[in-house]
Amino acid sequence: MSVIGEILVAFLFGSIVGLLVQRSRFCNTAALRDAILFKTYRNTEALLLAMMVLTIGFTTFMTFGVGQTMKFDVGLNQVIGLFIFGIGMVLAGACTVSTWVKSGEGNVGAIWALIFTFIGMFLFSLLWSFDYWPPAPIAMTGEPNLETLQLGFANAETLQEKTGIPAIFFGLIQFGVLLFIYLKIQAKKSLKTIGDN
Amino acid sequence: MDFFKKSLDPRIALVVIAFFDIFLFLILGAWTVGGGETMMTGLAAELIIGDQINGIPFWQIVFPPDFGYWKIYISLGMLFGAFVGAKLSNEFFWRFPGSLSEWVMITIGGLMMGIGIRLAFVCNVSTFFGLTPQLNLGGYLSMTGIILGAWVGSHIYKKVLGF
Repeated sequence: MSVIGEILVAFLFGSIVGLLVQRSRFCNTAALRDAILFKTYRNTEALLLAMMVLTIGFTTFMTFGVGQTMKFDVGLNQVIGLFIFGIGMVLAGACTVSTWVKSGEGNVGAIWALIFTFIGMFLFSLLWSFDYWPPAPIAMTGEPNLETLQLGFANAETLQEKTGIPAIFFGLIQFGVLLFIYLKIQAKKSLKTIGDN
Repeated sequence: MDFFKKSLDPRIALVVIAFFDIFLFLILGAWTVGGGETMMTGLAAELIIGDQINGIPFWQIVFPPDFGYWKIYISLGMLFGAFVGAKLSNEFFWRFPGSLSEWVMITIGGLMMGIGIRLAFVCNVSTFFGLTPQLNLGGYLSMTGIILGAWVGSHIYKKVLGF
């Protein structure tokens, strides 16, 4: 696809997401924060449903080797990085999606959060080095490399290659786990409603 | 139109987004935001510091500034879509953080999000809407981190806001 084509597809996708998130007030931060702090699950349920659809969708196509999967080595830096991110998003009251969506609604706090996300990224880029951890190409061999705290690369496709079992099978297991959590929340909610009466 | 009068059930919104995300996965790759934001950071930095950016290896090797990078336009699309939605439903107005402590929390939170994304090479969107549904090991590592982080953040938030 041409660069212009890619840009148009990405912009169209973003616009649909922006519109739907604005109208539904979905927030990824709230999906985690509200479940932890207030035991309310309006956003958590939506997140789980989307993940169920995506797990089935992605692993079905991955079974046939279709689609653009994300390919890069992972390691401890994902845990630490997202831990820092997780604290940050709750403090800022917005994640990467809601900063853009709330900015579009005229929320100056969200614009401020975006500016500082950019500044944070720039500051970190100054620390990055080609040949040592945090993750550098030289440490990424595709295989676990404990010296550099890298665990290599694995996804539904590599599982299929290594075991000979279709990717969709593993997708169905994950779907089942997500569904179980979703139903648990439903059960908790109905219990609460009875209690409230 | 009713769509712009009542708020939409987030479950419906997210399932629709998931189907579009599968289309995007087939064409370009799953929905992500952090990569586009990084590229925008690079482009902004180039604008501000000029050729000095060539002295920073990260912008030479990992993210050479490029306006044609598709992920940028997902973010710009979200901004545009949200603006249209807010305008048509009369929900667009300028709002400012109410107190100094809010400004401070947003500043620190924003910085932490930026640093976290770059350390992890992953944002929250890739975690939940890309990596984990692809059963990528990175998705599970990221989810562990973000849930622990959200837990710690929630307790800080509770303390600062005092409830």
